[in-house]
Amino acid sequence: MSLKPTIGMETHVELDTESKMFCSCKVVETDEPNISLCPTCLGLPGALPVPNKKAIEYIVMLSLGANCSITKEGMFHRKNYFYPDLPKNYQISQFDFPVGFEGSLEIVIEDSLHTVAIERVHMEEDTGKSIHLGSGRIDSATSTLLDFNRSGVPLVEVVTKPIISSAKMAVAYIEELRQLVIDLGISKGKLEKGNLRFDANISVAEEGSDELGVKVEIKNMNSLKSLEKAIDYEILRQTKMVQDKESIIQETRHWDENKQVTLSMRTKEGSADYRYFSDPDLPNMVINDEFIEISQNQIKETPEKKRKTLLDTGLSLSDSNYLDKGQRWLYELYLSTVKETGDCKSTFNFLTGELQGQMRKAEISELPQWLNSEKLASLINLFENNEVSFTSAKDILAKLLIEDIDPKSFASDNNLIQSSDNDEIKALVTSIIHENQDIVERLENPEDKLVGFLVGQVMKSSESKVNPKSVKEVLLKELFG
Amino acid sequence: MTKDFNIDDISNLASIHLEENEKLKLQKDLEIVLEHVDALKNIDVKDEKIDIHPLSKILELREDESTPSLSHEDAMKNSPETKDGHFVVPPSIE
Repeated sequence: MSLKPTIGMETHVELDTESKMFCSCKVVETDEPNISLCPTCLGLPGALPVPNKKAIEYIVMLSLGANCSITKEGMFHRKNYFYPDLPKNYQISQFDFPVGFEGSLEIVIEDSLHTVAIERVHMEEDTGKSIHLGSGRIDSATSTLLDFNRSGVPLVEVVTKPIISSAKMAVAYIEELRQLVIDLGISKGKLEKGNLRFDANISVAEEGSDELGVKVEIKNMNSLKSLEKAIDYEILRQTKMVQDKESIIQETRHWDENKQVTLSMRTKEGSADYRYFSDPDLPNMVINDEFIEISQNQIKETPEKKRKTLLDTGLSLSDSNYLDKGQRWLYELYLSTVKETGDCKSTFNFLTGELQGQMRKAEISELPQWLNSEKLASLINLFENNEVSFTSAKDILAKLLIEDIDPKSFASDNNLIQSSDNDEIKALVTSIIHENQDIVERLENPEDKLVGFLVGQVMKSSESKVNPKSVKEVLLKELFG
Repeated sequence: MTKDFNIDDISNLASIHLEENEKLKLQKDLEIVLEHVDALKNIDVKDEKIDIHPLSKILELREDESTPSLSHEDAMKNSPETKDGHFVVPPSIE
């Protein structure tokens, strides 16, 4: 029996607002506990929620960015459950009538495009944080400490349809969603800070079957590595269970990073167990055309648009995706540099290989002010036109990172310009052929690896002052006519 | 008519402990509630406009501006136990 996995993702995105979702407490990033609280986010009796306009604008932007339809009249619901990090005993969330619905995100896996259908994008509030004290194992904690600074921070949940078919695809989807919230400027998108946290709903079913298998949810991951490993593990676990004729139970599991397994947390509640009902404290949320337009006008960039711009320069899909998901300055620098070099591949290779590599090595996080696209293009052109060797280009770049120089003048002043003078090259080639007769006799054809060795010898004897491409041409002519 | 529910599940979800006699009484009460709901189901509403909230008021939004909150001391005042600036509650593991 051949089995196929089906995965649906639920992603919580913490919005980057000044104040919380339903009260004016400041959103703080601090280890100091319980310093940004008021009766509303503490769930004290009588406190009333008032929604944050910016957060609603942000969720509309995210919904539009994920190509969703926007509800004209949304509403908030209470999702009821008991847990100490939720002091009201309900979370304000959305049930039917979410802000965004029926959208899609284009994602890139290696060199191919795929589409992930989005079911809904809804608004809710974050919970507080719990610290379990005791022996170190959470199931034998002696008490729980609570910090409510995060309680009430605006949170958007993005839910896909169950159509993701592999761990790789789930990772590519999260990468795209993360880039979207960063490009929209609505979240810091830092996984290590928990700005994005994801749950994966995984099931396996017989290939060709229209019905999905029993769904297991892996909760609360915030690293792409864990996500990929957890999904792969869970697919294997469920496949083995089905093959062994064991029945899978609908449950919530968590990924144990130390043991590299998923472990059962609890039998999952069904949606009815949360007893959703409309929040009487919050009237209908009307999102009219004007509000949508204001939100739309704030969208300057999306990863999909950036990728199209990059593809238009001639780059491959995977290279475009690499720059799309990288740092903003690198994306901008590539676009302005390639305009001047006209050579997408060499510009991409030089910026992502040499420039980033040297910056990492020298621990430079920002480009020096003088190192603009004009200078980089001039340097790329120098070695692409064989005027300097790649080694010299690397040296010039190293200099450029610490000093404002003109690459071409620097190359001339430091005797780095390679000679393309055929007479000079011919003299060097003749001499190397003479010195390496034993190798010359072993040469079988122009593609022989030993040709490269001889070119290297000529370069060495010239102290890299001649153009290697011209050397090879002259050498082949001398050897094979 | 829907009478098919488990009073133990309901009390678990509501996090309340019920004695056997209370369970019996509540079972009956809830059955009556469900009968009322079933009666509502018989009303023909197919030509009615969906009214999704009891209030017809349109949601007021506030600008994204932060204002001073409770002081840490005031926020912690009602807590029977605190530790290192945290509220302390009995161990709670899902």
